[in-house]
Parts: sequence; C-alpha cells; structure tokens
Amino acid sequence: MPFINEILKYDSLSIVGLEKNVGKTECLNYILLRLPLDYKKIAVTSIGIDGENKDQVTATKKPEIFLREGMYFSTAEAHYRNRRLVSELMEITSERSSLGRIVTGKVRVGGKVLISGPSSGPSLRRWISSARNLGVDITIIDGAISRLSSASPAISKAMVLSTGAAYSSNMNTLVQKTKFVVELINLQLAEDDIIEAFDPVENGVWGMDMEGNVIDFGLTSSLAVASLDKDITKGMRYIFAAGALTDRFLNLVINSGNIKNVTLLVRDFTKIFVNEMIYRNFVSRGGRILVLQKSKLVAVCVNPTAPNGYVLDSDILCEKLQEAIKLPVYDIVKNSYDI
Amino acid sequence: MTFKSVLDIDCGIRFIYDNLELNSSCARKMLLETPMMRSKREIDVYYGKLNQLFNKNLAPIANKLMCLKDIETTIKRVAGGIVLDDIELFEIKYLAMISRDVLLLMRDQNITAVNLPDLGDVVAILDPDKLNIPSFYVYDSYSDELLQVRKQMKAIAGYGLEVEGEQKQLLLELQRRNDEIESEIRGVLSGRIREYSRDLDHALKSLALLDILIAKVVQMKELGLNFPSVTEVGETFYVKMFNPMVRKALEDVGKQFYPVDIAFANVPVTIIGANMGGKSVVLKTLALNQLLTQFGFGVAAQVCCVKVVDQVKFCIGDDQNAQKGLSSFAAEMLAINEVVKSLRAGENILALVDEPARTTNPVEGTALVEGLLEVIGRGEGGFVLTTHYNIKNDDVKRYRVKGLMDGVMDYTLIEAESGDVPHEAVSIAQSLGIDQEWIEKTRKHLNN
Repeated sequence: MPFINEILKYDSLSIVGLEKNVGKTECLNYILLRLPLDYKKIAVTSIGIDGENKDQVTATKKPEIFLREGMYFSTAEAHYRNRRLVSELMEITSERSSLGRIVTGKVRVGGKVLISGPSSGPSLRRWISSARNLGVDITIIDGAISRLSSASPAISKAMVLSTGAAYSSNMNTLVQKTKFVVELINLQLAEDDIIEAFDPVENGVWGMDMEGNVIDFGLTSSLAVASLDKDITKGMRYIFAAGALTDRFLNLVINSGNIKNVTLLVRDFTKIFVNEMIYRNFVSRGGRILVLQKSKLVAVCVNPTAPNGYVLDSDILCEKLQEAIKLPVYDIVKNSYDI
Repeated sequence: MTFKSVLDIDCGIRFIYDNLELNSSCARKMLLETPMMRSKREIDVYYGKLNQLFNKNLAPIANKLMCLKDIETTIKRVAGGIVLDDIELFEIKYLAMISRDVLLLMRDQNITAVNLPDLGDVVAILDPDKLNIPSFYVYDSYSDELLQVRKQMKAIAGYGLEVEGEQKQLLLELQRRNDEIESEIRGVLSGRIREYSRDLDHALKSLALLDILIAKVVQMKELGLNFPSVTEVGETFYVKMFNPMVRKALEDVGKQFYPVDIAFANVPVTIIGANMGGKSVVLKTLALNQLLTQFGFGVAAQVCCVKVVDQVKFCIGDDQNAQKGLSSFAAEMLAINEVVKSLRAGENILALVDEPARTTNPVEGTALVEGLLEVIGRGEGGFVLTTHYNIKNDDVKRYRVKGLMDGVMDYTLIEAESGDVPHEAVSIAQSLGIDQEWIEKTRKHLNN
C-alpha cells in the first residue's frame, strides 16, 4: 500500500493531474479507499466537476468517486441531491457555484457522489478552515488541469501528481515534461530570515541588496519589467517576484550579467510560468530560484493509456520516470495494490 | 419611499449604509425594502427598541445571527405543502436552532425588542436523537425498516470495493428501498413542519430585524450618533450637527470637521456665505439627518429635534442633466418646479435646494430666487436653500456662514440680516494660490 502512510503525515493534500485523463480520479479513489478512517477524519472536495461517469470533453469512461462511511465531502447542492449514498448534511457554506451553493455532508452509508466544490484559492482556504471546524484531520482537494493554484502550499501541504500518456504519448517527452514540473515543485526553500523578510510582500517586484536592505522596485508585477530603464539586478542578492515569474523576467536576469550573483525568489512553484528551455538556459548559466513556501510531493502516479487508445509500456514508463525524478512512481490501475 | 430609493441621494446616506455591519443577507434585504416611517409614534417605538439594546451585551447574539440564512423560499414551499428535501429540512432545523438560541440569550438580558416564537417543537421534529447539532439527514431512528436496509447496504458496500452479479443487484434494490423510505419520511416531516410555517416566517423576519437593530446600535457607538427627539409640530433643530461621510474624508487628510447648529420651522431659510464655507455640506447633512431619523438610525448631531415629514426633496443642481438631454439650468428649474408643486399642494416635505439659479446671470438669478421664496411661502415641512445672491424677501430666516476669520474658515452659522452677503470670493481664491495677476486685475475691476 504505497505512499498512504506518507500522506498521513500532512493535514492537507492536493491531487493534481498534468492533463485530463491522466488517471487523477483513479488516484483519488486509490487514496480514499485506503486512508484509515478509524483515527483520521477526512474531507474531500474537487475544484472541477469530478466523479462524472464520462469525461465531458473527450467522452471517455471515467471512474466515479466512492466515499466511505465517516468521510466528509463538499459539493454543489445539485450534486448533493443526486448522491447515491446516505449522508448527513453538516453545513451549507456561503460559497456558490453554477450548480448552486456548496454544501458539506458526512457519509453515513458509503456510496458514490459527484463532487464539484469551491474553485478559487481564497474559497478553498475558507473550505479548509470550515472543515477544520468540523474536526477534520486531512483535507483532500482534487485539482484540475491548469488550476495549479489548488496545489499551492498555501492551500495544501502535500501533493500527489498524476501524469500519463494523455500528457504526451512519446515516452521520452512525457518523462522530460513531468521531470520539469517535479523540478519546480521540489525547488529549495529560501533561508528563514529571507522568507521572513519577503513573506508579508503581496505584490510587485522587490529586491534585497548585499547589506540586507529590502527594496521595492515600484513595479506592479514582473510583467512590467519591459518598462524598466535601469538594471534592477545590479547590487542585489535576492529579487522577489510576488506574482507570476515569467519568461521575460527570467531573460532579463539571464542577460543582466549578474545571473550568478542574484537569486530569484517566488512564493511557491505555482507562480512560475516559464518555458522549460528558458528555465534550463537560466539554470545552466548559474541561475538559482528559491521558494518561500514548499509543498511535499508525496508521489507521482502514471496512467500509460491515452484517451485516443495509445498505450505506453507501464513498467518501462515507471522505471524511466522514477530514474528521472528520483521519486517513487506508481501505476495504480495496473498494480491493484492491497487494501 | 423605501430605504433603497433614498440611497442615491447625495447626502452621505450611502456611507451610513456601507458602514452598517449587518450579519445576514436577509437583514440587508429587509433594510433595503423598509419604508420610511412617517409618524412620531412609529419612530418613537422604533427608537425605544434601539434604546433597549443600547447598553446590552450584543456580541453573543450577533454571533448567532452571523449564521442566519435567508430561507424565505423554503418556508413558503413548506407552507404550500411541498415535500422538502434534505437541504431544505436542514435549513429549517438550522433556523429553528438559531431562533431558540437567540431567544435564550434575549431572555437572559430581558431583551424584548423583537418577539421571537418558541421553535422548540420544530427542533424536536428534526432532531429525533436529541443530538442538538445543526446537521440533518433522514435519521435511522425515524424508521426501523430504514435502519435495517442501511445495515445491509453497509454490509455489502461498506468498503468501497466493486461488487458484481447478485450482490450488485441486491445493493441496487436496497438503495432503491432506502430512497423510497427516505422520501416517505420527508413527506411526513414536511407535513408536521407545515403547521409551524407561520412561526418560522415570523422567526426569520424577527431575527433579521434584530440584526438590523444591533447593527444600528453598534454604528451609533462607532460614529458617535445620537437618539433624536421627534415631533410632528414645531421646529426642527440640531446642535453640533455633523456629516459622518465628510468628517471621515477630512480626517483621512488630517483635517477636522466643524459641527454647526441650525434651527428652522415653517419659515423658509436661506443660507448665505463664502465659497467653501460649507453651505452645501449643511444642506446634505440636513437631508441625511432627516432620513436617518425617519429610517430609525442614530442621528449625526449632539442634540436634535426632528419634525417628521412625508418626503425629503433634495435639489443639488447637477441632476444627471446631460443624460436627459437638458441644460443644467433647465434640469434645475424643472427639479425645483417639482418642489414648488408639492409645496403648493400642501404636502409635508422637507425641501433642500442648493444654490438655485446659480448658472444664470445674477440679476435674473436673484429675481428667480426671490420669486421662489415668495411663491412657496410658509410650507408644512421645511424649506432651506443656499445662495450667493442678495435676497431681499421679508418672511425668511437668514443664516450666514461666519467665513474667513484671520485667514481661517469659521464654519459657524450665525443668524443674519438682509443684505449681509459676504464678499470673500477673491480672498478665498487667493488662498487657493491662483494666478496673482488674475487676482490683481480682479481687485482693480472691483474697485472701479
């Protein structure tokens, strides 16, 4: 029963798929089926519609979410009414979705339900805090493609990554692309005093010089670097981009001549929106990025089958990926691990 | 006039509304739909409620009200005989529990400002296991058969493993039976709750009202608002009247608001005074305080007596005339004409007009204002206008802003005689730092 014990060390988990149909829901079901409910209270939600029989985009078969007795779940009221389990309604939250208010139930007799909960960062944070009020020990968020924010360490302390043939059906490309994401997730934390200095900063681009003075460059975001008429990297030990870190900003640092002297800081890996080539160039020339917050990547799950029917060799894929990212990789469907 | 309809009057009432910390959305809805009170009796009863709450410990009640949800539709549905689903039954139970808890908190402090029905029976119907927690499902204890069905379901599907063949069929059959019993029970529960639908509706409205009353008391303390005296005959007066919105704006830039005193009855009032002397603010504040009184808020003055009117009419001049395709003069004349019509019809209104006829030449402008004051005569409610013109009418009460004293503006209102129009525009313009040559040329023209 791989990586379940690892999850128990954290109070919040997000499951993120790098593409649709990479087996994220199977991964979620795998975890939900194995978490020990006798001493841990679990709450689950999803930031997209999840648990539907068929994928709404590609019309491929999707596994439903099964919840066991004692689990808490939050979903839109329309889905709550159509649940196929017995549950006690614990709370009607003030969050809304297109399918009505988000409500929280506690499973009385296990069964299946569609889950579609809050989706924005702040509403997820509110969801977590209301789950804590119900005495929940571990919150689990089913993330959605291109919504990495749910995996932000500000929301989830641990994460499981789902990848697979749907992301790329060329094994080498798949390994390489997944490795890049894992590398960003595993970026090192900055030192405590640096985190303390920049943590309260909410927006803009800031620096810290050799003497440790914190400087506001007066930029609204790293997107505004095009308007600069001076080299902000000069004399700086750290530069912190509070919002998104972009290609343009990375190029600016690469071309500044100070790339070896200055360390870039971002809040967490979800703020990095850079092309792999530019990132590799940055790193090979001595560039360094550190984060203020980090989530623990617990495991990587793969689905070797693509929605178009293309199937990669599961064993070779797991082996190659494992070697590249130095982390355990699981094909959950093929190896139906013990409960 | 509902509270919603007066929110756009540019007098600072929206500031009051925005700063009112209501806990529930149904209180907000109720407040916006509240009609303006028009009798001394009604207003006095309302302030009596605020007064009763004023020195009470309201935080625990406010905490409960934070959870209040607007379930008017659900109550209407149950009253109409519809079978409620789990979510709606939860809402009913939740409301009943909040109402019960608030009732206990009110009894502890002898609060009678609102009359809450006892919903203990509703709680009992929806809490068969007496768990006293605000959650709901069709509990096992409602039916022995339900309990048995669920036990079997758990035995088959409890671990979440896929079941096949006969077992799967059995599970589907059990699920179907479970749903059947559940909906029968919901029917029975809805029928029993239906008897309490009037009490539930009353409880929801009373809790919303309590939320509004508490928010108003909290706001009175925060903004330093006071209880007014209310009269149906005689004089309206304010001592140390202030405008919370303008005061906040001034404090934000490190300045201070100067409260003013003013009194008027049915004789028209003119306020004259230098530019930037606060005349418009006085008019706005009169409108604000009249509305605050008749909607039952604390009033922005140290001491005051407010005469009740049926309507407040506030003509500030720049009345979206461009949208209506009218010139500023035309828009203004038409707006004031409405006031004239109302007053002639003997309506009890407070009319406040800011610098009428300001956009035309001073000769005709003065004549228009003098004519206006003559035609309205002594009205039922009150009539206050500000002007720069030298108005010669007899039956008028005149106020003048004290004006520049040693280069500093004194905003005090003093009663004045006819012909007392101040000539301070040039000095004030100079204090704003405008072009020196312009000032000199202007002075030369004045001396000629």
